[in-house]
Amino acid sequence: MFLFDTLSAVFTVLILLGIVPNLFYAFGYLPHIKRKTHYLIHYFGFILSMIGVVISANALVFLFFWELMSLTSWQLILTEPKDKENLFAARFYFFMTHLGFVCLLLFFLIISNGDINQSFSALKVIASHFAYPTLLFFFLIFGLLSKAGAVPLHVWLPYAHPQAPSPVSALMSGVMLKIALYGLFRFLFDILYPWPLQWGVVILIIGAISSLVGVLYALSEHDIKALLANHSIENIGIILIAFGMGMIFDTLHLPLLSAFAFIAALFHIFNHMSFKSLLFMGAGSVLHQTNTKNMEKYGGLIKTMPITAITFLIAAISISALPPSNGFLSEWMIFQSLLSSSHINIMTLKLTIPFAIFALALTGGLAIACFVKAYGITFLGLHRSTNAKHATEVNSLMKTGMILMALVVISLMLLAPIYIHYFSNTLISLGKADVYHKIFPHGIWQMHSVGVNGGVVSPLILLIALLGITFLLIFAYKALHVKERIYKTWACGYRTSSRTQYSSTGFAGPIRRFFTWLYKPQEHLNTEKVKGHNTIFTSSHYAVHVKPLFEVSLYTSLVRLTNITSYWVYRFAHFEQRRYVAIIFNLLLMVLFSYRIFSHQFSWATFAIETVVMIMTIKILVIGDKK
Amino acid sequence: MILYLSTIILLVVISPLLLSFITQIKMFITFKKPISIFQGYRNFSKLMSKETIISEETSAVTRVAPFLILSPLLTVLFLLPPIVKGAYYVSFVDAFTITGLISLSTFFLMLLGLDSASSFGGMGSSREAFISALVEPAMILTVFSVSMMAGNLGIGQAGVNLASSFPQKHMASFLFSAISFFILLIAENGRIPVDNPQTHLEVTMIHEAMILDITGVYLAIVEMASSIKFIIFASLFASLFMPFGLQFSVPIALMIFIAKLLIICIAIALLEASTAKLRLFKVPNLLGISIVFAFLSLITFYVLGA
Repeated sequence: MFLFDTLSAVFTVLILLGIVPNLFYAFGYLPHIKRKTHYLIHYFGFILSMIGVVISANALVFLFFWELMSLTSWQLILTEPKDKENLFAARFYFFMTHLGFVCLLLFFLIISNGDINQSFSALKVIASHFAYPTLLFFFLIFGLLSKAGAVPLHVWLPYAHPQAPSPVSALMSGVMLKIALYGLFRFLFDILYPWPLQWGVVILIIGAISSLVGVLYALSEHDIKALLANHSIENIGIILIAFGMGMIFDTLHLPLLSAFAFIAALFHIFNHMSFKSLLFMGAGSVLHQTNTKNMEKYGGLIKTMPITAITFLIAAISISALPPSNGFLSEWMIFQSLLSSSHINIMTLKLTIPFAIFALALTGGLAIACFVKAYGITFLGLHRSTNAKHATEVNSLMKTGMILMALVVISLMLLAPIYIHYFSNTLISLGKADVYHKIFPHGIWQMHSVGVNGGVVSPLILLIALLGITFLLIFAYKALHVKERIYKTWACGYRTSSRTQYSSTGFAGPIRRFFTWLYKPQEHLNTEKVKGHNTIFTSSHYAVHVKPLFEVSLYTSLVRLTNITSYWVYRFAHFEQRRYVAIIFNLLLMVLFSYRIFSHQFSWATFAIETVVMIMTIKILVIGDKK
Repeated sequence: MILYLSTIILLVVISPLLLSFITQIKMFITFKKPISIFQGYRNFSKLMSKETIISEETSAVTRVAPFLILSPLLTVLFLLPPIVKGAYYVSFVDAFTITGLISLSTFFLMLLGLDSASSFGGMGSSREAFISALVEPAMILTVFSVSMMAGNLGIGQAGVNLASSFPQKHMASFLFSAISFFILLIAENGRIPVDNPQTHLEVTMIHEAMILDITGVYLAIVEMASSIKFIIFASLFASLFMPFGLQFSVPIALMIFIAKLLIICIAIALLEASTAKLRLFKVPNLLGISIVFAFLSLITFYVLGA
């Protein structure tokens, strides 16, 4: 029933690293929650079900815990069912996650011949005899990626994650999404091996699109938790890029590069868990103190909430992939495996992968912009509302949680060789090549890419150099004994107030304007003008709203299409008898007329006459007069 | 090792000269009385002797950001390709680290802009975020294609490889990536078609807007950081895209290197004098050209092998 192999061990470590700081934080957050029993039962149920998923040994147990994980997280979203938005988010999540569940169930029913109580190794035999493995692949990735939140199955994520209490958002974004990726590792490696080349390309494309879409929508958000949720989509995309590259290299028989890419994927899974949990905790603390999720109401919180601000800064640097953070290291590995694509012999693939490099690089650039915005607007400047003015530092349990998670982030940076060694051993047990000694050939100081002429990075030396130079500079500054004076902000002589600062909407303005074709923003400007003047006004209110394109184009339009179809089905089913007769008469006419075409007696003149006759009969008999 | 350290010190010392040199040429072309070439040093010493005024709205970020802006760039100086033969160089650090370190410096610069609660700072940060986000992909693609021609991703090793065996077979893709990198040099350093370093006009300024509210030693540090950033890009361009002169003896090689830097400065000055600043929303077109050239360079390398 249960199985604890190296892959399960890796993900159990991931869950434990995510949970331990979260427990402190969750208990610190508890006074804020009204339905405590309901919350605690589901919180612990959620944690247990995640562990259950990664250690289950057959499909039935796996599906049981998977469903338990969905249901408990669904109830956790409903912890504070305050408004319509919350109910909508929970319903949307419930629907999407069960759509994925149905796909997974179908996958398992097919590969087990209906008996899902078999171990995974038994399933591999049946799966290898199935005639359409690609169908299985699509069932699998539909099921798993709807949970992981990859484009186009990501639309529930920006609604559901922000609605849960903050410790739960941290768990959902940090850990639960990775459990879906565990499924990818488990079933693609154990059951659906070997892969055709196209599967890897599909994963790579999904990853590239997810990363761009995620970061672009994150930039347009001003709800801080929705911003972070959108960043989860981005990071899942980045992980999928690495995973897809691993699959491509594996099918092309480049075992070293493949193992390198999979290690990059695992490393980024860990990194994203750490910094995203930390960011959600920080956002939760801010939200806890200011009672609003709207970033436009924050500002200046670094003065009153220093611990939150510093831990948030560490996480922000890490998620923006700035050296020498752990986020940079894993993104560096992913870049290196993309650059190793010059070893591929297939020209079309070789020319396609630069587009993935482009997507990943643009994602990195936009992520920096986004986190400057998130950090700068939230923590720097002046208080933008009275709530922000009265915010104080959170209680010590929550602080402990954040500090512990920051330590996890830092440990992933400092102990990267140990983690990579661990991931490498896991991949060896899954039948992949051993690359640890290729990545660290000369001790832990230098990290090598395994491609020929690949790059090298030395995270520890960089860290020491940066810290050393910074401290030298600060020391020199202190030694100069410069006279300091504290005075008002100059700002070219304008009076600075909280209203004159840049807002988060304004900060993202240039990017929003450049990507108008994607955002299609709806702008609302209400100005109460003084009579007779166009430029003088008493009050003005500007709001911009970005509707997610995927939601509009795929989901809403699907709903509309269904509505229209059902309307016409209804109309056709409820004609008067006279019209049915008329339709039959017209069909008869059409058959008669088209007989000419089949007997090769076609002429344009008769065709024109017949068309006119058809149109007239349709107009007169079928459509009839307007009432 | 002595050569290595002395070249780094040399680069730090001549970095303000280059920016003053560009201004000098521009003023000369536009029939103004040119400033002294030592104006950079004068400004620096003037700022160093001033008292530091810190805005009362700021937080600890303003007190540490100037150092964190400068230190990644100083770190990059240690990782550049050698400019004379026989000098030690860090062969292993690749271009991602260098772009990452430059982004780290920009990250703190943008935070500094937001910290003083002035609308100008926010404006500058917002624009800088917009431009540097679009610079990133072009930068990485260009570096990728150069590294393929040089046969190594490590930037120091790539410089040496290019100098010892010039990729004559791949002249087309080499030129394309050179064009792409030159546009990046202009965009990253805020030269004229992208940003005007001389102006203090709110509709146009980017870099100046972010640092409007700092003064004294802090301003000196940030100005020094921007001149060092310029010399990083200029010397990368000189080592990667004008890869000659390394084989001569030390004084001649140094002269050639400085001549290359001056040529880059003259090119930028001529460009600045002859073009107007682009509107902010036209800048992506320029960066788009850079991205397209980087792609072209890769595609010609792969498909035509030229």
